[in-house]
Amino acid sequence: MTSAEPAIFAEHLHKRYGDKVAVDDVTLRVGPGEVFGILGTNGAGKTTTVEMIAGLRRPDGGRVTLLGLDPRRDRAEVRQVLGVQLQEAYLHGALTVAELMGLYGSFYPDPRPTGELLELVGLAEKCGVRFEKLSGGQQQRLSIALALAGRPRVLILDELTTGLDPRARRQMWATIEHLRDEGVTIVLVSHAMEEVERLCDRVALLDAGRVLAVEPPVGLVALAGAQNLDDAFVALTGKQLEEAE
Amino acid sequence: MSTVVEARQPGARSWLTLVVCEAKMVVRDTAGLVVPVLLPLLILVMSAGSASAHVAGGFTALEAYVLPLVLTMVLASIGVINMPSFLAYYRRTGILRRLAVTPASPAMVLVAQVVVSMLQALVGLAGALAVAFLAFDARPPADLGAAFAVYGLAMLALYAVGMIVAAVAPTPNSAVAIGLITFFALGALGGMFGGSASLPDAVAAVGELTPFGAAVAGLSAAWVGAGVDPVHLVSLAVSTLVGVVTASLLFRWD
Repeated sequence: MTSAEPAIFAEHLHKRYGDKVAVDDVTLRVGPGEVFGILGTNGAGKTTTVEMIAGLRRPDGGRVTLLGLDPRRDRAEVRQVLGVQLQEAYLHGALTVAELMGLYGSFYPDPRPTGELLELVGLAEKCGVRFEKLSGGQQQRLSIALALAGRPRVLILDELTTGLDPRARRQMWATIEHLRDEGVTIVLVSHAMEEVERLCDRVALLDAGRVLAVEPPVGLVALAGAQNLDDAFVALTGKQLEEAE
Repeated sequence: MSTVVEARQPGARSWLTLVVCEAKMVVRDTAGLVVPVLLPLLILVMSAGSASAHVAGGFTALEAYVLPLVLTMVLASIGVINMPSFLAYYRRTGILRRLAVTPASPAMVLVAQVVVSMLQALVGLAGALAVAFLAFDARPPADLGAAFAVYGLAMLALYAVGMIVAAVAPTPNSAVAIGLITFFALGALGGMFGGSASLPDAVAAVGELTPFGAAVAGLSAAWVGAGVDPVHLVSLAVSTLVGVVTASLLFRWD
């Protein structure tokens, strides 16, 4: 693979649920080592798009290539190199943080050590606490740690910092920057402008299942003739971006 | 960046880790132990009192009919109703979805669930048998080896049927509904209501080929020391194979 070849190539993705078109001809090309943001309002098709990229949903049309592999046909290979943090994923409630880390780590040949991962997401103190006893933000952080367990080369994070307090949010951002320095390709689904602006090399703006623009954050602002990314978002989509909790 | 990615499946250590984790889930949720541990006792105590009459060969009805039926009902109820509802709960809460994006395979998830459920069932059965032997003076099977073989095979077969239910049921409620219907359909064909002698010949013949009927007939033969009909063993083996293959093909992560 030459360096010009994308880490993720999603071509003309289509997905409908019944009568509703969720994703309508989405094409995205994410370069190796890039931090790529997907920005849009609720219902814009962000999660459906990344779930098709991760091989969790079968596209009605189009295709996905991830490091040259097909996420559904080459499931076993893709699972070795892809880490995913799902929106609202529940884990075994009665297992402790350490037990869950051990379990998910065991799926990979060379897992990242549990201690190192918990340090990275600030959960080292919570080792012996059951998942069901963690706060929402702590569950979210554990979910991110698990996504990193297999030393992924491609990482998909759906709503990275939703539900996190400002301090945890900054800690996650530092973690993402650290992973970027390690050369991990990252797809970041978000509706937090500050996050996208700080972390992403390029951003795809999704609205009603379609890609409106793919630009670096400053490019989006320029494209809209706006002052900042918030204003650019409103100008391009005609919608107000809801605040991340 | 190289394109060479090895398709490595999780190894034995990972399977064991998952089994241990599933066992911890069960032990820490004590309500989950009620069905597998107390149900066998309950069914036994309800049925044993009226079965002291002697049948041919010096065996009591308890030994020749009731125990084989009770032991099979235990396997069927835990395998076909209890275990699938656990897995459906995992599906409903997104635990399976999360596992779907790891290298864990559907087989791994199903097998871990089955192994832990079987361990619970064995604990319950040990309790029920102890009560049968101590309180109701039951004697062990005349052909102990055959009884173990039939029972082991019956366990695989009925859990395999349960795995089909577990693979497809979208919600815990639907798992219980599908499981109950499957349980009663198999049970009715296999003589759960008044023995297979009361069924029309054709129905009884079909019933003996189902995993439930085959398990009861095989266990009964082993208990009284009659030879186990190979048809029953073949039926159990075929059910196991069909169940495992169907469940793996139909398995849904969400």
